[in-house]
Amino acid sequence: MSESKFETVSLLVDNYQQSDEKFDAIIDDEQLSDTWDRYHLIGDVIRGDVSSSLPVDFAESISQAIATEPTILAPATKEISPKQSIKGKIVQLFKPVGQLAIAASVTGVLILGVQQNVAQNEINSVMPNQVIQTIPFAGVADPVSLNFQQPDRKTQKSIYIEQQRRFQALLSDHQRQIKLKSINDKTSVKDKVEDSSK
Amino acid sequence: MKISMIRVYYGLLLTLGVLIMPSSLANDINNPPVKTTESIPAKNWLEHLTTSLKTLNFSTSFVVVKNNQAEPYRWYHGVNSKGIELEILALLNGPRRDTLRRGNIVSYFESNSQPYSVNSSQISGPIPSVFSFDIGILENSYDFVSVGKSRILGRPAQIIRIVSKDANRYGYWLWLDQESGLLLKTALITREGNLLEQIQFTYLDIAPTLATSLKHLAEAELPKVVNLSTQTEKTQFSWQVNWLPLGFERVKADRHRINLTQQSVEFMQFSDGLVDVSVYVSPSKSSKRGVEFVKDGATVVLNQVVNSKEISVVGKIPANTAKAIADSVSFRGIR
Repeated sequence: MSESKFETVSLLVDNYQQSDEKFDAIIDDEQLSDTWDRYHLIGDVIRGDVSSSLPVDFAESISQAIATEPTILAPATKEISPKQSIKGKIVQLFKPVGQLAIAASVTGVLILGVQQNVAQNEINSVMPNQVIQTIPFAGVADPVSLNFQQPDRKTQKSIYIEQQRRFQALLSDHQRQIKLKSINDKTSVKDKVEDSSK
Repeated sequence: MKISMIRVYYGLLLTLGVLIMPSSLANDINNPPVKTTESIPAKNWLEHLTTSLKTLNFSTSFVVVKNNQAEPYRWYHGVNSKGIELEILALLNGPRRDTLRRGNIVSYFESNSQPYSVNSSQISGPIPSVFSFDIGILENSYDFVSVGKSRILGRPAQIIRIVSKDANRYGYWLWLDQESGLLLKTALITREGNLLEQIQFTYLDIAPTLATSLKHLAEAELPKVVNLSTQTEKTQFSWQVNWLPLGFERVKADRHRINLTQQSVEFMQFSDGLVDVSVYVSPSKSSKRGVEFVKDGATVVLNQVVNSKEISVVGKIPANTAKAIADSVSFRGIR
């Protein structure tokens, strides 16, 4: 019975002609007029007219609802912290080196960008290959062994961390050494004289 | 009846348009680059760039894109009334990394070290310093090719390729403003056509007068100039690098400690004008370790231990080239 009542509302919303009695019945029945409201709201959302149909105190009513919710105490998170700290260290070391693993995907996208600007025949002959990223690290075994052998995993990780550290150290020293280099061209001799006279 | 006539007429027009369009597009793609720009050789464009970089007052912003990350920079350059070049290059995200230049003094302000100055007329940053130096020094190892035109940063741009003469290096693509000759975009691309790094300018303003911050720089007190050892030519090690790609020359050699690990190394740096390659040699605890390398954008860091000597090669070169350089290191007394 109630199923068919809702159906009547639905038909009305969709502009199907109904008898006046049915209309009155909906107006009188609180549940049905709520349904009428809701159906129209759904229709508005689908048509993208939401902002106009949302009540002004929308946020307020939600915050009230939240306030009346019973408070649930959050479970302690400490237990998982040892695992996390190991993970955190690696991420930290990784980032400066430059999130190497993800680079390949963006390279693909960027190549597209370049291709558009460039004489097509130039690049069509050399289709993008995958950029080589981190290549056979001697110290790192496949992930399967990481899951099964606890002690191994530790040494693997420390080898890996040490390796990342070494690479990062070399990279930053290389960049520093480039900066600690004097490049002087003939045109700026004048500047030198000027500056030393200060 | 009339309407259908008109329809047919338009239909015909459309069809004609479709037929003509692709062929003209194809022509555009295949021919004009060489044809339309042959009048101005690529080298002239690069010289124009160098002159503009040295003489114009410009304020720019650019973004370095590599490793799925974008690093935004601001870059000001100008020449004051005394003819001294002033320059500011600042990284805008994360810890501060500012570089100032006044004439022949370049000062680096970095969060992880004391500020220092170097006697140099070039800032070392994401943009190869050779562009504002002397492009001619690249002619031994690279060819300059004018590729075509494009639109970058809302401006008509000229595309120039800097192509390595051998297969051991990457190439640069430059998009230059047709009006001012300044950079609008650069890309570092492998010989296979893979993009490794790119710099996209997001703002360019060329003004007749100095930017305010540059005026301040003219009076600012800069950190003490670091005395760079001049004994590069004299430093002798028990090892030597026997192979490098064409055009690379030794620019530096010294012994120093690497900041992060406090490891002391023997160090040589080579340059072909565009690319810097560092070679590190140090004793190692392990007697042998296979080759390992990582890539940061275009920069490869390669490391191996042979006969208890750790050899590392760092630079914007393909991994194969780095490996060949590392393998070519020979030790006196051993070999």
